[in-house]
Parts: sequence; structure tokens; C-alpha cells
Amino acid sequence: MKKFTILLPILLTFLIADVLGQQPDRMPARAEASINEYSVYQSDAQWTNQRNEIVQLRYFIGKPAVVTMFYGNCLQVCPILIRDANRIYEAVDESLRDQVQVLAITFDPENDTPEALRDYANRYELNHPQWHFLTGSPAPIRELAMLLGVQYRKDSYGHYSHSNQVFVLDDEGVIVHTLEGLNQPVEEAAAWIEEHLKRSNTHNTVDIIGKLN
Amino acid sequence: MKNRILHILTLAAALLLSARPSMAQEAVEIPGGSFHSILPEVEGKPLEVESFYMDVTAVTNSEFTEFLMENPRWRRSQIPAAFAGEGYLRHWQDDLTPGEESPADAPVTRVSWFAANAYCGWKGGRLPTLDEWEYSAQLMEFDTPAQSNAFASELMGWYSTVNTDNIRSVGSTGIVNKYGVRDQFGLIMEWVEDFEPPMGSDFQLNCGSMGRMQQAGNLYSYAASVRYMTRMSFTPQTTTGMIGFRCAYDAPLTRNLYSEPALREVLP
Repeated sequence: MKKFTILLPILLTFLIADVLGQQPDRMPARAEASINEYSVYQSDAQWTNQRNEIVQLRYFIGKPAVVTMFYGNCLQVCPILIRDANRIYEAVDESLRDQVQVLAITFDPENDTPEALRDYANRYELNHPQWHFLTGSPAPIRELAMLLGVQYRKDSYGHYSHSNQVFVLDDEGVIVHTLEGLNQPVEEAAAWIEEHLKRSNTHNTVDIIGKLN
Repeated sequence: MKNRILHILTLAAALLLSARPSMAQEAVEIPGGSFHSILPEVEGKPLEVESFYMDVTAVTNSEFTEFLMENPRWRRSQIPAAFAGEGYLRHWQDDLTPGEESPADAPVTRVSWFAANAYCGWKGGRLPTLDEWEYSAQLMEFDTPAQSNAFASELMGWYSTVNTDNIRSVGSTGIVNKYGVRDQFGLIMEWVEDFEPPMGSDFQLNCGSMGRMQQAGNLYSYAASVRYMTRMSFTPQTTTGMIGFRCAYDAPLTRNLYSEPALREVLP
């Protein structure tokens, strides 16, 4: 029994490491063979989400995604960006919605720790399994912003001025739709996602995604 | 067994030796301070910049080759379109040979922002921010106003006739700031971390905004406005023959870059 109590934490560590490590480890092999040249998911940087899971962007290959960049201390504009992302998400037919991923990436890794992101997600009641509030190192955050075409700059008060965009990415990570500015109509973006999902679902004789969920 | 130890020792020695070239590049400390940016946060107020370290010279063709040896995915034949335009290292002989057109000690050009960003990360640093680069660029000392004016007009001459056919070695311009950073003018344009800062929706790249920028009224304002406009015309995939980069490092340094030159002087 004593032995077991010593072993248990070790086993758990391995188990957690395995679960966390699985997706980033598994995905690159697939990605390197097939990742689209124009994909935003090219970067091999590591990110952490609000559930403290470590992910690479390649993990998101295979399903469409709604993507925006924001930061938690931004009280006026960013909640609207998050709401706009959610408006697209909710405009997708309920039967398909669980196949949509939403990524909200922070500009501010100093303040937006995974715990702060979890609180943020909970506050807006958006801590759904397919929602990922992501933080990472400054260079990959800038790199992702460059890939998306998002501009931002930190001011001397610790706030960020930034452009306001919400993107729809196809299942390869290529931008297919951009909402420029706040409070834009979302019907077109949602319709694209629905059509795309319906098409790819009929193409898949075995609905792997459905099985996983 | 003996063989195995020997093998490990050889490997260790090889690793140490291979680590050396990447340490050779010198960076100097730029003490924090403030300067009048042509894009101030508050109209008329100087911008504060914290201390940081910056490479003395731009990254050369030979240094960039080392990076490509270790990082195949950034080679010309392998880089994805998301990370660079078609001009990426186009003038090189092949993936790992800069060739005659690109001397080893000349700055590497035709590199995208993404490649520059990855290189600096590999070096343990990062790209300098727009403000850091500009702050360092105006840390020049002149004895008389006449000298500084002469320099400013020389600078404008250079910006209007950047020649990408014959880029000279790093360190060759003789232009150096007071902490030893070389060639911020006169050689190439350089990537910075945030080369396209967010502008208000009313901001237009036209003569009116150029005019407003010039009203900052300091020595470099006109040349600086040309630089800002040029940068804003880039995309992160841009790979023109005039664009290269240098790296910056947070202070205090996590790696012992700063003491390296001194160490080399002591050793025979």
C-alpha cells in the first residue's frame, strides 16, 4: 500500500502528461504531411487554454474555427469581440454547433494566465469544451497576429490598442471569412460554417467527430 | 565502453563548438530613456523605452545559414506560403548556399518577418520593437547642429536611392550610435516586432499624415516618417532585397552575451 501511495502521484503525472501530450504529439505527424501552405496553424508553438491544457494550433485541424484576439483587462471593446465570436457560434444550427471550435487568443500573457482565462470564460458563461481561451509566449502571439492580420500595440499603461476582427477558419486553418469591426452581421459566416459542416459530414461515411463526442 | 565514452566526449565537444558561432554575435545594452516618436502615445509627449540589448550589426548571410542548417522548415524549398512570399532568399544559390551575390558578412535580405522572428527566437532573443529600434536610431552624437543637419540630408539621400544590388558588409557604413549599434541607416531596412502599429481608422497613408509626422520637428523626423511609411507598406510575408533584420534581448540577459567579447580578449 505504501508503495502504491508513492507510485500513485508518479503514475498520475504520467497519465496527465500523456493526456496533455497526446494531441500535440499526435498532430504534427499528420500535419506535416498535409497541412495547407496558407494555414494559420503552421506555427509549432505551444499554447495553454483555460483548462490548463497544452495545445498546438495543429490540434484544431479537422473542424472549422471561429478565431479572435483579445485581452482580459480590456473592458469595453474585447467583450464585444468575444460576444461577436459567440454570435457566430450561436447562429450555427444547434445540431452542428458542437463541431465548431472557438479560439480566443490573448494579447496579454502577463495578466491572462490560464486561471485568469478560466475566470473570464466562466464570467461570460463560455467555458464550453470546444471553446479555447489561449495564452502563450509573446513571440508566438505576435506571430499568430501577423498570420491573421491583427495589429496591436501595448501602451505605457499596460493596455493594448488593437484592430478588431473575428475570423472564420476552415478545417485546415485557412481564413475563409473576416468580420472587420465590432457588431457586424454574422449570418454569412454562420451559413458558411453550416454548409461546410453539412458537406463534410455527408462525405465522411464514418462520422468520427460524432463518435468522439 | 571506452569507445563509447570517447564517442560521448567527441559529441559533447562538437556541441560546445557548434554552440560557439551563435554566441559570437555581439549585443550591447541600450540604457532606458525617452524619445520623441513621430507616433506619440500622447501628442507632444516623449515615449519611454526600457533598457534592452540589441545586436551591434544586422544578421549576416553566414549567420542565417547556420539557422537554416538547424531549422530545415525555414529553408527556401520548405517554407510554407503563409510564412514568406516567393522572393524568399531568391538570390541565394540554393537552400544553404548564399552564393556570390550574397557575401558571408553582408546582411541577409529577402527574409520575411516570420523568418526574422523565428531566427531571433532561436538566438534566445526577439525582434526589437518599433519603439526600441527608433529609440536606438536617434541615440547619435554630433558636435554641432551643422553636422547633424548634414547627416540628416545624407540620410534622406540614402532613403531615396536604396541600392539593393550591391549591399555591403555589416559594419561598413561607419554610422554608429553612442552605445555602439551600427548601420541602422545606410545599409538596409530592418524588420521590427510590431512594424505595422494599429492606426485609428481615420489614419491614411497620404501627404497629410506625412506632413503631420514631420511636424515632430526633430532631426530625424523626415527620414523617420519615410521609414514608418515604408514599413507600413510591408506585409509580414514581404521579401524584398532591401529588408533584413537584427535581434534584441530583454535586460537583464538570460544568456551571457554581453561578457562574451571581454572573455575573448582575455583568452590567447
